[in-house]
Amino acid sequence: MSFDPDPELSTEEVQQRVDEAIAENEVVLFMKGTELMPQCGYSKRALGLIGQYREDVETVDVLPALDAFRDALEAHSGWETIPQTFVDGEFVGGSDVLAELEEKGELAETLEA
Amino acid sequence: MDPEDVAALVESELPDAEATVGRPRGVEDDDHLALEVVSPAFEGESVLDRHELVYDALGEHMTTDIHAVELTTQTPEEAEE
Repeated sequence: MSFDPDPELSTEEVQQRVDEAIAENEVVLFMKGTELMPQCGYSKRALGLIGQYREDVETVDVLPALDAFRDALEAHSGWETIPQTFVDGEFVGGSDVLAELEEKGELAETLEA
Repeated sequence: MDPEDVAALVESELPDAEATVGRPRGVEDDDHLALEVVSPAFEGESVLDRHELVYDALGEHMTTDIHAVELTTQTPEEAEE
């Protein structure tokens, strides 16, 4: 039994969590905060854009270990910025890319909705 | 980094680019920029690749002295629509 109420995530745990979330979900959004309480306007915007087309988006809150998540995500996308969206294991982009895809009418297709 | 310098840097790095910079949170806030870039270099590129071209142009400024950029990218043809 652990007496630490909020144990720090290790780099390895974060890396594993990122790898699994990308591999096991059709659509995954790495964001600051949770679906119910986004902690950043850009994460909220990304969630809203995806939510128009997919209700089954998996979200991962990066705030418990921000630096470790940035490193783990960069290994997949080359980007360190949050939010990041992946579809079928492929990096799609952050909130600006989602917004431009929406503007061009390509977002539904990208999300395979 | 001065917002106008951000636009100038993109214009110098990307072929025939026109960059317009705005301050979506008001004139007092130089930390959150809106950047609209029009360049023929975006022709045939995915949105993700377009954004990477612009981020490459901004280089290390993106991680050091630019806090947040809202980016839109268009080819000259798209900008005319």
